[in-house]
Amino acid sequence: MIDWSPFPDRIREQLQQHILIKDLRRQPRLFTDTSDFTCIDFGDVIHVDDRFFLVVGHTKEGRFGIDEQPKQWVPKVVDLESGQRHILKLVFHENFTISLGPFQITCYRSPEKECRVLDLVRGNPLFMQGHSVPDEVGNMVRILDVIQGTRMDTTIARLACDDEAYLADHLPGILGHYLKLLEGIMLLHRHGLKHGDIRRDHVIIDGRDGTYRWIDFDYDFYLPERPFALDLIGLGNILLFLLGRRNFRPVDVLEDPEMGERVLSTLHVNDLALLSRDRIFNLRKLKPTLPKCFNDVLLHFSVGTPVLYDEVGELYDDLQRCLVEVYG
Amino acid sequence: MGKWYNILVAVDAMEPSLSAVRYVGQVAGKIAEVSICLLHVYPEPPPDFQASGGVCENYMAQRIAGAEQVFQRCTEILVTSGIRREAIACATQMAEGKTISETLLEVRARGDFGTVVTGKRGISKAEEFLFGSISNALARHCQDFTAWIVG
Repeated sequence: MIDWSPFPDRIREQLQQHILIKDLRRQPRLFTDTSDFTCIDFGDVIHVDDRFFLVVGHTKEGRFGIDEQPKQWVPKVVDLESGQRHILKLVFHENFTISLGPFQITCYRSPEKECRVLDLVRGNPLFMQGHSVPDEVGNMVRILDVIQGTRMDTTIARLACDDEAYLADHLPGILGHYLKLLEGIMLLHRHGLKHGDIRRDHVIIDGRDGTYRWIDFDYDFYLPERPFALDLIGLGNILLFLLGRRNFRPVDVLEDPEMGERVLSTLHVNDLALLSRDRIFNLRKLKPTLPKCFNDVLLHFSVGTPVLYDEVGELYDDLQRCLVEVYG
Repeated sequence: MGKWYNILVAVDAMEPSLSAVRYVGQVAGKIAEVSICLLHVYPEPPPDFQASGGVCENYMAQRIAGAEQVFQRCTEILVTSGIRREAIACATQMAEGKTISETLLEVRARGDFGTVVTGKRGISKAEEFLFGSISNALARHCQDFTAWIVG
């Protein structure tokens, strides 16, 4: 028998009628303190911002297939009064080390930084939207709007056309969106903020109007002299994906029947990614039809580059010139 | 443009920095009007510093204490080169909301230093991209002053 008394009258009926609760075989709990988020499960209710959010699931780390783990600090919820779906992000501080080639960099999960980014980009369609409110003990809970859309990378990977058609018909539009994404990152950098986790699966194409939108801003790094270096690396990786429609490691070239040893033998260490050296940035060696100016931009992210990009604006200007040169 | 012998030297405890100070001593040791400011700029604490219980004042005190040792060493090098002790000033600054090189350039502009000196570490392109290079930043933004980059 469920005790409904912890839940106020104004949401009790909606809670009782919710399909998830009907199937729940335990007492739903009301959380006003989200510190121990591992205790908060399906069917529980989180009370923040004078709103009651029913937990209906948890988001998962999106890109790594079988390793997908639910992120318990990121519950999917329904606002019991409005019926709107949201994603909550609960405070979870952690740090860990990532390896980029021979370099080790400490990465921090920083709810505070994400709150600052959300404040800055409120109303800006290039970014996911949300706001932060303290729970009963001061944990900053981020209430995020759900973007109805699809991941940029999966959308592009599914395009059924050959490279020639992709270059002619799809790439101009995609790169136009990419330039807008760069403008978004330049806005953050101008305000001393970094995105922190720029990856191709952290761009969602909004299903309503096709806008490409950045998500997930809670990573931070400690690179005092080059605070935006990893954002730049991420942007280079995304551009490589957009131009090549996938990433190519040397082993991928070897295993590709159309390239194989013939193309592999032309590759040099200078063609690889500057830091991780795991993927080929000299894309024209694999895709000779790629316009040279695009390839020249990519080469700024390669081991062999004589000139490194110092800031996103330089990448933006170069790419904009390429678009005019190639597509007019 | 400030007078060339109003010299700002960016210092830390690393050998390239001490080499730069020795070089300044050799070049400026005989100049009567020379005035030298030894500047140590240090970064803000890591992002999780306060969340993990760190106290910013303690961090700053620790960095300043470390800088004092560097200043002593550098001052001795300069005095040994013939520079008057009264001509040497020392300053420590945290790079708040800025990079170390931006802070260095700000101090340069504020003090109207005609010369800025830094040591140069030998680093790879990848290291430079990720961790930055004060000497490269100095060379890139050198305007209205002279930069001495001592390798």
